[in-house]
Amino acid sequence: MFGWEYPPRHLGGLGVACQGLIRGLVNQNVKVTLVLPFAADGSEDQIDILCPQEHHIQKIRVASLLLPYDSAELYAQRIQSIPRETAQIYGADLGHAVHVFTETSVEVTKHLQPDIVHAHDWMTYEAGLRSARHHGKPLVTHIHATELDRTHFHPNEWIYGRERWAFEQADHVIAVSNYTKNILVQHYGINPDKISVVHNGSDETYHADTAPTQITTMSGKKNPMVLFLGRLTIQKGPMHFLEMASMVHRHDPDVQFVIAGDGHMLPSLVHQSVKLGLQDCIVFAGKVSSDEARKLYTQASCFVMPSLSEPFGLVALEAIAQGTPVILSKQSGASEVIGHAFKVDFWDTEKMADCVLTILRETPLASQLTAEAPRVLQRLTWENQAGKVVSIYENLLRS
Amino acid sequence: MPPRICLYFQIHQPYRLRDLRITEIGKGKTMDYFDHDKNRSVFRKVAEKCYLPANRLMLSLLQKYPDFQIAYSLSGVFLDQCEEYGQDVLESFQRLAKTGRVEFLAETYYHSLSSIQDTEEFCEQTTLHIRKIEDLFGMTPTVFRNTELIYSNELAQTARLMGFKGILAEGTDHLLQGRSANLPYTPPRFRLPRRKEMLIARHRPLPQRSENISVLLKNYRLSDDVAFRFSDKSWVGFPLNAETFTDWLLGDGGHSVNLFMDYETFGEHQWEDTGIFEFLRTLPRIWQERGMKCATPSQVIEQWYENNRAEVGQSPTGRRSPEGESTPLREKRAHERKTAGFTLMPVYDAHNVISWADTERDLSAWQGNQIQTSALKAIHALGPLVKATGNPDLLRIWRKLQTSDHFYYMCTKYWNDGDVHKYFSPYDSPYEAYRRYSHALCDLRQRITNATPFPRRKRRKT
Repeated sequence: MFGWEYPPRHLGGLGVACQGLIRGLVNQNVKVTLVLPFAADGSEDQIDILCPQEHHIQKIRVASLLLPYDSAELYAQRIQSIPRETAQIYGADLGHAVHVFTETSVEVTKHLQPDIVHAHDWMTYEAGLRSARHHGKPLVTHIHATELDRTHFHPNEWIYGRERWAFEQADHVIAVSNYTKNILVQHYGINPDKISVVHNGSDETYHADTAPTQITTMSGKKNPMVLFLGRLTIQKGPMHFLEMASMVHRHDPDVQFVIAGDGHMLPSLVHQSVKLGLQDCIVFAGKVSSDEARKLYTQASCFVMPSLSEPFGLVALEAIAQGTPVILSKQSGASEVIGHAFKVDFWDTEKMADCVLTILRETPLASQLTAEAPRVLQRLTWENQAGKVVSIYENLLRS
Repeated sequence: MPPRICLYFQIHQPYRLRDLRITEIGKGKTMDYFDHDKNRSVFRKVAEKCYLPANRLMLSLLQKYPDFQIAYSLSGVFLDQCEEYGQDVLESFQRLAKTGRVEFLAETYYHSLSSIQDTEEFCEQTTLHIRKIEDLFGMTPTVFRNTELIYSNELAQTARLMGFKGILAEGTDHLLQGRSANLPYTPPRFRLPRRKEMLIARHRPLPQRSENISVLLKNYRLSDDVAFRFSDKSWVGFPLNAETFTDWLLGDGGHSVNLFMDYETFGEHQWEDTGIFEFLRTLPRIWQERGMKCATPSQVIEQWYENNRAEVGQSPTGRRSPEGESTPLREKRAHERKTAGFTLMPVYDAHNVISWADTERDLSAWQGNQIQTSALKAIHALGPLVKATGNPDLLRIWRKLQTSDHFYYMCTKYWNDGDVHKYFSPYDSPYEAYRRYSHALCDLRQRITNATPFPRRKRRKT
């Protein structure tokens, strides 16, 4: 299995999802060898983790520039802001890393005897494909986020092309949602018959005693808090969150807002929040640890995920696991699996604000969302989801 | 004698809410909560697919077959929508009424859950409905059909005190316990609390209370064969033709087979291309050939009494009562004859509330979760306040918000596992239904507060 990021060195859902899936597969007695572009910190003992070593790299005579990928969005953003023809030169960090990873892929996996080669997201696809060809085994490309999601449909053509080429070459494609499957069919022209949807899982469980509490302000008054958590990039829709916040604020000045996460949009978001007059009721919490995130979910009266295009959105599952009512963008995979939530189009910030205010006003509503939404977690365990992946493997091996 | 066929159809349309926003609350006296475009378009769609063609067919069948008879319950809000969106539909029902072989049943005007919430309001809405039926169709209903066949012993006694001689209910297996649904039943006899009896007497829609009330039970298997399974290709009975179905009716026996269903079965739930209209067109011909007659609910009850009176009228020796009987004896016989049918009726004991909804056949479709119960509680809490304003507009809006559909749309029974195909609603989700409803409620509450003519204030002591 070719991955890119892996906890504890991860930035987004990709690492978390890989870890969940691998643990689920191991529980189903699948032997997994994970190939990563960087040395993992020995967090896993049930799987073998490989990464390109000095001697692999020397063979292809490329200087090692292996950085854990800081964020494909950032990269895409940089690429977008410069002329197309120079884009590839500029993509030195990530582009090079991908190049090294790809060039060493066969070398690294030569001694293995896999039945299936499974690759996560575009950075690993060519590596996966080379390895699959070398071993003569089927390739599964797993898509967690497309270039179109990251860039709100203004893709870097080079990345888009690589993704498309890999989907075409793959024996099977796993998409994390029907939403993503539709994108692959409509925008990549991939045959829907070879795409399976396996939603992400969650090993979180909800305990009724983690019911939301409210932030206590300096005056000791309990104020409701509305939370955003995600990278501050165009894909995640933080600007829409601010728009929604200002409408809520106009109606109810007591409501507090927390934006947790880091990203290149931070300065413009701070600027915009002041412009909207939200300076006294909004907190930029920066990047938070998973413990801090859990605490924020618990404190929040509701969690809003206004993503412009979200293949899945694991944060939504994390929020409901803490008993927090959620409002989800309809342009997300999570909204396919979470029934007990409000779902709005990401651009309809007015309705988003209305849903927030309704949740704050109507106690029975909030309490029902808190109690009912987590039921989905019982079904969406990684154990179950890995089971679906195993049956995809089995089908591939039979055919 | 073959069983009578009792056909009854429910017709109802709610006033769906528009996408209300919190920012609109308390802004205007004339704020409209309802989505008229949506309501009109749904009404017209169903009118073209079901009401109009089905009524045309029913009229021709009534004209052709003298033994064909049917019953409807048209909710008051449906009739209001007829006046707003479909005079043609209303007229087609009036043409049916003129044949004299169509019975109209009574129900709550607003298709509400008031029977389980507020007895006084329940009586008032039933009265409103009866007056409406009298105005439009020139007949007074004597049989009651509660919203979605919600029924209990207590409701049966309430309806009896209101003056009805019959009431419809679901024939659920656990209450029938192996008995046939094809006989009229009687509720267990008991007194309601005195306060409630007096309340009903004060608000009784019909001139006097009934001595007895009969319960007609829906034969859910045969009804659902048509209403739900008719076009189901995986069903063992598919394709169902009129001959086979008539065989089943005959085989089921009893006094009457009660086929109760949504009128939308014809053309809307079962599309025209399933052959449902052809099926309906053929039935009366086959029934006529086999000597089967239709009866409306009130006729089913009357004929039961007639049959049993005839039986009791026979003296033990098989001769007619001799004329020389003494007056007290004659009176005793007369009383026996009068109550004979009733004493022969088996008891249908619905201690808990039942309905025809879902597989549960209970109230969980309308009050099965927190948002539903809180919405129901909130709307009924406004009752005394809205009545105190004496404002007919506010009263009407309050009542429109009582329509059971509003609560049905908030149902989350089938909302887990992303299983949404069982969710019939004009809205995205049960939560969207609640959002709109709670906004309407907030605004109405403010309007009621503002409209109260003499706001109660603490008097200052001087």
